[in-house]
Amino acid sequence: MDFTSFFEQYPFFREAATAFVVIFVDLSALVILIAAGRERRRGDRRWAKEGKGYMLTCAGTLYPLGAAEVLIGRHPSADIQFPDEEISRFHALITFANGRWQIEDMGAHNGVIVNGHRITKPCTLHRNDAIKIGNRRLVVIKAERT
Amino acid sequence: MASKSTKPLSHPLLLLLVLIAHSAMMVLVICSFGINAEVIKLACAVLTADFVGSIVLQIVAREACTVDTVLLLVIGMSTIYQSCFGGLEFALKHFIFGIAAFIFCQISYVVTRNPYRAERWKPAWYVLFFALVAAILLLTGSRSMWIDLGFITLQPSEFVKPVFVLIAASSVRTQLRKSQILGVHFVPDNLMLIFCTCVIAGLQWWCRDLGSLPTFVAIAGCGILLRFCYLREKISVRLMVFLGVCAVGVVILAWQLAPAYVQERLHSDIWSDMSGSGYQQVRALRAIAEGGWFGKGAGNGTLIRVAASRTDIVFSTICEEWGLFTGLMTVILVLFLPASILTVPPRSYYHSGLAVGVAAAFIVQMTLNIFGSCNLIPFTGVTIPFISQGGSSMLASGILAGFLKAAQAPVLTDKSALKQKGGR
Amino acid sequence: MAQQPNRRPAPPELDVSVPPSMRRAGKWTALLLVAFILGLVYLSYRLISQSQFYMAKSGGTTYGKVVDRSGDVLFDGTQPLTNYGWGHFADVGNFIGDTSGQMSNTIVAKNLSDLANYSFTYGNNAGTAVLETTLSHSANQAVFNAYGLKNGTTIAYNWKTGEVLVCVSKPCVDIALGYDNLAAMPEGSLLCKAFYPTVPGSTQKVSTLLACYEYAGVDQINALEFNCAGEWANANGDIIKCHNIYGHGTQNLTAAFANSCNPYFAQLVQSGRVPLSAIITTYTRMGYAVNGGKANAMSLNGITIPAASTTLKDKNQFETQWGTLGQGKTLVSPYQLMLWQGAVASGTGSAVQPYLLRSKTSADKKTTSLVSSGSTGQLFMQTAAKGVQDVMVQNAANNYAWALSGYNCGVKSGTAQVNDDGQKYENSLLVGFCLDDSCPIAFCIQIEARESWDVTTGQIARTLLDALAGVS
Repeated sequence: MDFTSFFEQYPFFREAATAFVVIFVDLSALVILIAAGRERRRGDRRWAKEGKGYMLTCAGTLYPLGAAEVLIGRHPSADIQFPDEEISRFHALITFANGRWQIEDMGAHNGVIVNGHRITKPCTLHRNDAIKIGNRRLVVIKAERT
Repeated sequence: MASKSTKPLSHPLLLLLVLIAHSAMMVLVICSFGINAEVIKLACAVLTADFVGSIVLQIVAREACTVDTVLLLVIGMSTIYQSCFGGLEFALKHFIFGIAAFIFCQISYVVTRNPYRAERWKPAWYVLFFALVAAILLLTGSRSMWIDLGFITLQPSEFVKPVFVLIAASSVRTQLRKSQILGVHFVPDNLMLIFCTCVIAGLQWWCRDLGSLPTFVAIAGCGILLRFCYLREKISVRLMVFLGVCAVGVVILAWQLAPAYVQERLHSDIWSDMSGSGYQQVRALRAIAEGGWFGKGAGNGTLIRVAASRTDIVFSTICEEWGLFTGLMTVILVLFLPASILTVPPRSYYHSGLAVGVAAAFIVQMTLNIFGSCNLIPFTGVTIPFISQGGSSMLASGILAGFLKAAQAPVLTDKSALKQKGGR
Repeated sequence: MAQQPNRRPAPPELDVSVPPSMRRAGKWTALLLVAFILGLVYLSYRLISQSQFYMAKSGGTTYGKVVDRSGDVLFDGTQPLTNYGWGHFADVGNFIGDTSGQMSNTIVAKNLSDLANYSFTYGNNAGTAVLETTLSHSANQAVFNAYGLKNGTTIAYNWKTGEVLVCVSKPCVDIALGYDNLAAMPEGSLLCKAFYPTVPGSTQKVSTLLACYEYAGVDQINALEFNCAGEWANANGDIIKCHNIYGHGTQNLTAAFANSCNPYFAQLVQSGRVPLSAIITTYTRMGYAVNGGKANAMSLNGITIPAASTTLKDKNQFETQWGTLGQGKTLVSPYQLMLWQGAVASGTGSAVQPYLLRSKTSADKKTTSLVSSGSTGQLFMQTAAKGVQDVMVQNAANNYAWALSGYNCGVKSGTAQVNDDGQKYENSLLVGFCLDDSCPIAFCIQIEARESWDVTTGQIARTLLDALAGVS
């Protein structure tokens, strides 16, 4: 099999073959992109399953718990942000670990009150728990998975 | 396909694509060299690795298959490239390191997939960092960066990169834990990051290897930027201007204070010294021009005779033999690794930090390598992750890829939280 | 579900979107990626557009041809130059140049990448690159031969279009013969003197006159009379000699210009009727570097031409007066003298930028037409240009009718005293223009170390105009 001399004779075929390879590798790159897109949805689904479908609601507004660490506070970088004076800049942190959601006081002035008790250490959250932060009342709800 | 399908693409399908891509490349290699023992060795090695790697993944880790698939694809491609440069010889060492990098990726994934644990282990990262620094100081000469272990030479400075990424990442909880000394509030974590950056800068200066300094600065810079995002009000224009001015000032200062050998690099015009300091770049650029769109064909390159053709100017070597199309495509494939976190975003602060650190490390290294060898920026001796020859760089890149995988498929357990619960 | 009694409202749809603070990681990564990919796009563009340069510079390719306006070959990289007739390249070697690397300020050296037989798409030796020049090789050879045994330089261009038609510099290397006898070649064989500053002699009076006209107006200056008694002592007691030892007597400007009378112009400068600052202003605008100041070098399709320079410090000083007369420290390239003649000939005070490359055809057969880069801008006032044009036309009619009959020309001659390492000799110069529609030429002719029995600049001008008449 002496392709070498053939390609030397007809360089066009080698170029065509290279183009072919490029197309193939690009094709696999494209499929990887599609796979990544599916993986994203799969990641969402996994998160929905692990996170028990919990969300927070406050006066009709829904707040997703889309990450393992969700910060509540007055600070613009907080994930759940309230512009109230009574709420500290970094008020509370909701974390997810070991299959359960917990809320933690980040040294807030007015504290975090869960179901009427001011918490001093991380407190596990359950469905329909009421969290009072400043004058805001957040309720843990279970949303419907789609 | 159904637009909302959440079914994962099966591993066999991805494997099939990787196999086809590699086979297509092998066809081209066969076209250039005919069928001989080396070709068979290469084909067997690459295709078997794809097959075995894929099966192992199917069994062991079913998450974050994007990173793994890209890794398999890129490592196979780079093995084929490296085997064909200037004539066919199966690059066994490169291949072994590629496999090792793949394994290291899985190991580092397992180690860092739990963000809480990875961050809690930060003291260990500090110890590792200073151990590596000490190793560089004690075991390598000031002019060389290699530790010779007889059968293998290691470049500890490469392994500092992943450790540094682990140090640069941080979570909001850590950022709110402030200490106070002499009335000044500070975050110990941030202080350590700045200290480590200074240590690494000093070390690079001492090693006369300022080439990889931009990589570390970029990692640290991204870490600090993310910290700013946590703790500042929205980054104001004034702060941005201030930071910009600081950055420009630092660059100017560094430019002025850079040692003579760096100055030479910064100011040299390769076209006026084509046989001297500009030799590599002149040959690299000429090789790209000679390669054209579709290259000269595998094994027909002549750039291999130039020093560092497999590492620092590897982009040109690929372009010469396989063409500019293939060269660019390869680069973009490597970019898929950091880009993968755009599709599957990390869900914890520490993993976000890791992902951005890895993206910075990969992209800055590729920038320095490709743009440097093509005479757009000063030429430095850094590698393209997974493509350049070099065991340490390959392994370190594998570890970095593991962080990306961790950010996409986290395992969220926290032992300290469990203990607290037990105490209640 | 809805029918069943339920106190709670139906649960909302689950949202697991990643909070903004986490999305920052993606944003920063995207930013880095976009920056890198933009860089990559730019890099690819640069690599492709500069690939000819890379190949040409590193000697990785062969080179094509340079041809004149009618297709006559001036350089050929595709075959041995000896294939052309003997002496075919003898007149163009030192400014068309070749790829040997011996000469760096030539058309070939400065446009090497356009001459490479290479294209990114079609690869090496895909075709022959051709650079077409505006030069007329036949006219160039005629002028070259007219020099006979003398050395010197002639450059001429069409002041209406900017096409450089003739460029001769003797002695000249014959690129077909190679460089084996480099040491034996006469000095200056490897450079084109038209592009290097030389002592302009009395042709400088054109510049001085332009400055005077610009400041005081044509009529004012023309009416000025000074006496020449063969020599004249200035305010500092230094003697300015006239070439006519008996003197020209009392004369007005037109006569003094025609007589090329040094004492007249020295008195004009010292009289203060035109302050030195006004002369400096005009000189600077014309492109002189005055008193060590900066002036931009010019470029002719890549060939660099240093700017003219002179020293004007004090109107009573010998050196300053000498400077306005074109001797001593004043240096102007023949190219720039020609350019000013173009601006005078046009009668507007601005010239069309000369150019030498008319088109370039790359190895993949793509032809790009090139034209003049436009106007030089206002070098001097229109009235001054008109005034000088009249004086020069009159001068030609009075003194050069024997040589230039049949052409509506304007000229100014000059004699440059050169002291070259103790060896003193006089160069003869002639700058001028032709206003005929069939022959709109501005030129500068220089003959080195001319003796009275040698060929005259007038004869060369005649040869030049005859060769170029009708060339368009």
